[in-house]
This record gives sequence, C-alpha cells and structure tokens, in this order.
Amino acid sequence: MSKIEEVKANVEKGKAKIVPGLIQEALDEGNAAEIILQAMIDSMGVVGDRFSAGDIFVPEMLMAAKAMSKGVEVLKPHLVSDNTSSLGTCVIGTVEGDLHDIGKNLVKMMLESAGFKMVDLGVDVSASKFIDAVKENENVTLVACSGLLTTTMTAMRSTIQALKDSGLSGFKVIVGGAPVTAEYAAEIGADGFAPDAGSAAVKAQELVKG
Amino acid sequence: MLTKRQNLLETIKGGNPDRFVNQYEFMEIILEVPSKLMAEPGTEFKNDWGITFRWPEGQLGQFPVHDEEHKVLKDITEWRNYVKAPVINNSDEAWAAAVAHASSVDRKDQFVTAFVAPGVFEMCHHLMSMEDALMALYEEPEAMHELIDYLTEYELNYAKVLIDRLHPDALFHHDDWGSQKSSFISPAMFEEFYLPAYKKIYGFYKQNGVELIVHHSDSYAANLVPFMIEMGIDIWQGVMTTNNTPELIKNYGKQITFMGDIDSGVVDFPGWTPEIVAREVERACKNCGKLYFIPNLTQGLNFSSFPGVYQCASEAIDKISKEMF
Repeated sequence: MSKIEEVKANVEKGKAKIVPGLIQEALDEGNAAEIILQAMIDSMGVVGDRFSAGDIFVPEMLMAAKAMSKGVEVLKPHLVSDNTSSLGTCVIGTVEGDLHDIGKNLVKMMLESAGFKMVDLGVDVSASKFIDAVKENENVTLVACSGLLTTTMTAMRSTIQALKDSGLSGFKVIVGGAPVTAEYAAEIGADGFAPDAGSAAVKAQELVKG
Repeated sequence: MLTKRQNLLETIKGGNPDRFVNQYEFMEIILEVPSKLMAEPGTEFKNDWGITFRWPEGQLGQFPVHDEEHKVLKDITEWRNYVKAPVINNSDEAWAAAVAHASSVDRKDQFVTAFVAPGVFEMCHHLMSMEDALMALYEEPEAMHELIDYLTEYELNYAKVLIDRLHPDALFHHDDWGSQKSSFISPAMFEEFYLPAYKKIYGFYKQNGVELIVHHSDSYAANLVPFMIEMGIDIWQGVMTTNNTPELIKNYGKQITFMGDIDSGVVDFPGWTPEIVAREVERACKNCGKLYFIPNLTQGLNFSSFPGVYQCASEAIDKISKEMF
C-alpha cells in the first residue's frame, strides 16, 4: 500500500492520532501536498457515502472529520497557496426559531472537509444575519440552511426569499434537515437539497462547481 | 368493557383487547418529583448536575447550553473532577405531592407511573455536548465506561427512592437514541456501552415490583430493538414511521409493544387540522393492527405542542376503535 493509500485508509477509519504522522511520511517521500489533500478529500467523500448508506454512524463521521482536520494542520505549511478552501466560503446556520445543531454541525464538518471555508452562524439565525454574513465574508459561494422542526420550515422559506430579495449574487443555497424534502426545497426556491451530511458534501460541490 | 389496565395487558400480551389503547391513557404519570426538570419558556435554569438548560421564547422546548462557559464536562479524562452526582432529596416534605398523586390513582384502572428523564445516553451529551460525547466513545472508551457506570449508579440510587416513595406499577423512562433516520451510534457500540447500563437499571425496577417498562425515544431505533428486548423494555414509546412499525410488530411484537407511529411533526404544527390527524390515526391503526401496538403521537408526554392536537388524536382513535373492534 502506498503512503497516500495509507493516508486515505486511515482518514476513513478516523485515526486522528495516526494521520498526521502518515502525512509527514507522505511528504517526506516527495508526494505533493495538493495530491495528499485531494486524497483526504476523496476519503471524506467515501465517509459521507457510507454515512448516507447507513453503514457508519455519527461517531465514525466525527472521527474521520477530526482525522482530516489533524492532517490538514500538517499539510497547510506545504501547500503552495491556502487552497484547503478552494471551493469558496460557505455560510451555514440553523434557521430562525430552531435550536437544533447536531445535523448542522455534521454538515459543516463535511463541507469543510470537502474544501469550503466555513462561516458558522450557529442556531436560531435570522434571515438578516444570513444576509449580513454573505456581505461581510469574501467569496461566498454557498449558503446552507438547516432546520429540524416542521414549525421552522416557514423560516427556511422566508430566509431564501430574503436572500433573493437582497440583490446579492454569486452563491447557491442548499437546505436540509429532517422534515425538508427535495420537493419542498424546490418549492421554496432553494438551489439544492440533501437528506444527510454525506449527501450535502456531494451536492454542495455539484452546486458550486456548476 | 375492559379497564384501561386490562386492555393494555391484553394488547401487549397478544390477547383480546376490546379497543385500541388510547395513547397514554393507561399511565398516570407522577411528575411532582423534587428535582426540577424543565425551564419555563423564555427562561433558563441550571439543574442539579450543573447543566444549564435554555428555553428561548417562541421555541418548542429547552436545550442544554454547551458553550465553553456552560459545558459541565470539559475533559472526559478528568470526569471525576467535573461531574458530581447531586444529593437525592428524600424528605417527606419534598415527596408529599408525588405521594399524594400516586395514592389518588385507581391502580386497577391505571398504572401508577414513575417518570425518569434524561437517561444515561442523554446525560452523557448533556454534560459534554453531543460531539464530545460521541468522539469520547472512540477516543477515551475507558473513561466513558467509568462515567456511564457513575451515571448508572445514580439512576439506581434514584430508583430506590422512587420505588420506596411511590411503589410504581410502571416506569416511563426517556432517553433518545437516534435521529429521525438513524440511531446515533452503531448497534455494536450501543451494545458495548449502553446495554449493560440499562440491563442494570431496568432489571432493578423489575426486581422491585415495577411491572411495566416504557421507554421513550422519538427516533429511528429499529436496529436497537433486540437490545431493547434484552434490557427488559415492554413498550417502546415514540416509534416513528421511519422505523417501519408494521414490520417491527411482525418481527418482534410478541416480545415488545410499539407505541407511536403518528409522527408529531406531521400532525402537531401551527397549520394542523382534524382531517390530517384523522388521516394519520387511521393509517397507523390500519397498518399496525390491534396487537402489540398503541396508537400515539410520538411526543414524550401526554400533550401536544399546539393546543387541541393530542385531544383530537384521542377522539380519532376512539372513533377508529369503534370501526375496527
């Protein structure tokens, strides 16, 4: 098994203590930092797919994201530019009236692992806060709105409407959360929908890459 | 006509119930215990373990607060320095209201039901946040086993007082083990960490005269049903439609009864109508059948978030009982 394959396998297994050392060994062997980074991003894609399929659960996903994060720390000084966030900035939050954050946090980790710079607005986020964050941060390519309650689905609709009415552009909107369906996402004008954190990373990349 | 208690027993034992058990009717839940469990809307409070709960105005419930300032358990390896079990108030005065309530119940008709929440899994993440708790299962399994043992010991000490004071016929115990689509942790991890704790807790209640264990988890948890049976749960309350309840009844009905299948999120919202409620009640009752099933909103107590929904569901269940029995 090549060192790159070892890195991939251990990110997938969530071996946060082993991955940094393997990354260093891969660098020492002369592998380009960008190639190692892409290998880790690919691993997280596999993790997301396995989560979506129900083969792994939240702890395994958290551990994989931690392993990736530890690996990126070692890799960062070796990258030509800071292109660990090559997909741009994603503003994420749970919509107004909703305090659930576990799903939102999982999506945040998966998008970060996929190559987004994440701006996390937390929970109970008003439409105006989403708009301010889009204005205040550079290169916002994605806004991700989460909601777990049927009672807050209307807040998701009004958030998307407010983003459209703001005249801001250059970003796509993805929505998700237990009561949200693809049909509802389309009805309220979202650009994309994902049923879980693994699918969210895949869909987000599709949306941003066009 | 059977009493509520008789009808419940006929339903869960595969006998001859004369109607559907109507939601929570068989349990008289004693909530007047000394420990404060809930904040009022628009307020926050710190419980006996030091966990801060906040219920912002306009929200449907309270949430534990886990910023650095409020998180109780900041380092799992040092859990003994952070987690201190509260002293259980066992004075006559503190328990007077609960005892009076229990004494007022006709036990031939209903089960006097002790209430315990949160359970061991929820306590872990209330103390340290969900992310920290779940990663600790991998990173510091020994410390997590110790913490779970400590929380279990507290539950057993509390159980002794509850049993001594109330002599409950049933236990209604909350611990959410999943999201709407999956269990939070794998069955293997659940078996290693939480099954032993619950075998001790539920075993203790049963050894001390508690006839019925009702466990609340309004989630997906179909993959944990064999463990529910092993730990002694008689009724899983909160079973959501995502579990495929009719299939569960077919596979496990003789060993455990399923209570729910009317997802609160689908019927209990600002724009609810009696027609939506009636449709969901009919679907649940016709799909799940008369035995090993109790039609019920998945919410963890006998009320709804929006006034009238719970009562409307009860009326719809009475109506369909007349059609199907």
